[in-house]
Amino acid sequence: MKKSTNMVKYLIKRILMMIPMLFGVLVITWILSQAMAINPLRSEINLWDMQIYYNEMERLGLNDPIYVQFFNYFRDFFTGNWGESYSGRYEGWLVTDIIISVLPRTLEMILIPIFIIPIIAVKLGSTSAKNRKKKKDIMIRSVALIGAGFPSFWIAILLQYLFGRILYEGTFFEFDMGIYKANNVLLDPSFPDIIPPISSLTMVVMLFFLMIGGFYLIFRGNKLRKRDEPSTRNYLLLIILGMLICFIGIVPIMIYLNTYGTKFRLLDSIIFNEPLYFWDTIGHFILPALSITLVSLAAITRQTRSSMLDVLNQDYIRTARAKGVPEKEIINKHALRNALIPTSTLIIVGIGSLLLGTIFIEYIFEYPGFGDTFFTSIMSGNIPLINGCVMVATIFLFSSNLIADVMYTIIDPRIIYT
Amino acid sequence: MIKIEEEIAINNENKDKPKILSLIKFYLLPGWRVTEFSEQEYEIEKIRSKRRFFRHLLTPLTIVGTIVILSFVFMGIFVPWLTGYTLQELVPPSIPGLPYKLPSPNHPLGTTRSGFDVLARMLWGARTSLLMAILPTGLAVGGGLILGVISAYFGSKVDYILMRIVDIIYSIPTLVIVLILIQILSLNLLEMLMIWGAFAIAGNLRFMRSLVLQIREMLYVKAAKTGGALKFKVMFSHILPNALPPMILTFFGQMAVTMLGMAALAFLGLVNAQIPNWGQDIAWSSIFEENVLSFLIPGLCTGFFSIAAMLIGDGLRDAIDPRLKI
Repeated sequence: MKKSTNMVKYLIKRILMMIPMLFGVLVITWILSQAMAINPLRSEINLWDMQIYYNEMERLGLNDPIYVQFFNYFRDFFTGNWGESYSGRYEGWLVTDIIISVLPRTLEMILIPIFIIPIIAVKLGSTSAKNRKKKKDIMIRSVALIGAGFPSFWIAILLQYLFGRILYEGTFFEFDMGIYKANNVLLDPSFPDIIPPISSLTMVVMLFFLMIGGFYLIFRGNKLRKRDEPSTRNYLLLIILGMLICFIGIVPIMIYLNTYGTKFRLLDSIIFNEPLYFWDTIGHFILPALSITLVSLAAITRQTRSSMLDVLNQDYIRTARAKGVPEKEIINKHALRNALIPTSTLIIVGIGSLLLGTIFIEYIFEYPGFGDTFFTSIMSGNIPLINGCVMVATIFLFSSNLIADVMYTIIDPRIIYT
Repeated sequence: MIKIEEEIAINNENKDKPKILSLIKFYLLPGWRVTEFSEQEYEIEKIRSKRRFFRHLLTPLTIVGTIVILSFVFMGIFVPWLTGYTLQELVPPSIPGLPYKLPSPNHPLGTTRSGFDVLARMLWGARTSLLMAILPTGLAVGGGLILGVISAYFGSKVDYILMRIVDIIYSIPTLVIVLILIQILSLNLLEMLMIWGAFAIAGNLRFMRSLVLQIREMLYVKAAKTGGALKFKVMFSHILPNALPPMILTFFGQMAVTMLGMAALAFLGLVNAQIPNWGQDIAWSSIFEENVLSFLIPGLCTGFFSIAAMLIGDGLRDAIDPRLKI
């Protein structure tokens, strides 16, 4: 009980610490991006009619002194207006709208690797450590070395070649799924393609968290009911309160989903019942996801293997063997839990940097996701979009670090935060 | 003072006495050592530990890794004698041949998209690619080594300031800042390498600091301090050599990572076009065209280099710490 309250205190402290750090990162990137030697509006320059360019400069406030721009940007930033994109594919869009429409596409590409990678990698690492210097181990080691050693974009292009050329020309039937280029989604979705306003999005996210709280209350009340002590008879109140919160929360969320969708294409095609669109979307992100998986699998497998070997040499493993514990139980219970402590850092930090690591993959597969948008915005000096994307990436990084610290206490109960 | 003089006198007498007596003392008195004998023993132990180190080091995989890296270094040094092409013939302003030609006696590995010879570009690329891998890593590890010792040994204010800087660097997404800084500095290769190295210092600093904090509490450091050694001497001749082996391991590990990272930056077109390197070669060729080798060769070179670096790192770890079996 005491430990959990400590944990909550620690979490609140960390989340409050995040706010000034985010602000600092944003200020640094704003100043750096102002110093870039690129004219963000160079696509507007037309020598016959320069008035368009001057008007645009005036409208976006780029003629103001630098401290006025700084003040204006940060005043708008905290009211939810993150500026508008200067150029490129999303010219004239609000930055928040771009992020809302682009981030889910990358997230749904990453999400499957995030859950698959640690499971497979830890399994592979522990099996190769278990039978060291045997055929299995040599095979896993060499594959992991290849995955870690060769550049990720090179492997991605090879995969593209394999599926786009060899399988297409080498088979008798037509095997063209168009999956070697990720962006040609041919079908028109019948579900809404409107971008939700940021206010309603934040409302729905808050309601979602409220609903999780409601479920927690129901769970708590149920636990008290089972204990059935006279002093804890107010469980009924808890359950009713939780159910009320859930009912209040679910109505606006359903209305929101019906009008805007989730923006995750997979979920949308399930909600609005479009099986063809579902398979099409899967076909287009399976190769990028595969190449991400291959690359980040290798590093984690190597780390798991070395820490596992280190643990298997310890005295307590010998004691367990002498005691007569079955080998499977030694590997899974005694060794793996201790070997996971250094590995978990690598896994979660890797996931935190995955959002930026997709830049190369999306660049190759022409996948219109977060990394691609980010890269083009940096290349074209699109200052508001750079700042917005840095903000999102930093939040992702910080929260993954926070999750890593919380995971430590679950994996290694000796660690206590105060 | 008198006691010490007495001891010296006893020792002098011991030398003159027959060996049997010293042997009896050796057997009866615990902790008694014959000076000559212990010196010899020490020498033998030293040689044996060296031999053990090399025996652990000379595994087939480590030898392969060393040969690969040495051959790349050989390539980088002796390029002008290995190919007939000069550097000026292999960069954009000159367009010598047809694009994507298959291997022929003139072009042993065919040509790239712009008609440059693949083999010549690979050999010239070895020079820059090795520089791009080794220079930032050297800067990062060296900087981390020195700053880490200073941070951990002085403690208090210096430590506080350095660790806050490290925290800031950790909290910013590094790749983005590097991309933006490259835009500001407009594609200068040397400055780019410096930036990459400077950002990589942070991780090494933290690692080195944790090592030094352990070593600082060792007995020999305290002995050196009580012996009246200068702070500078304790830091760099007692602590640093003992923290060196793990840092050498990280050097090889990071060399592979830096190689891949710089290749990625070159692939995105952020390296000066006048300097041939392997990452750029990958970007300037396509696997979907006729000459597949133009795409495969630079990628294989990059991969083999980083795998070789990792193999050497693994071998060194085996040799330095035989308990950790890899």
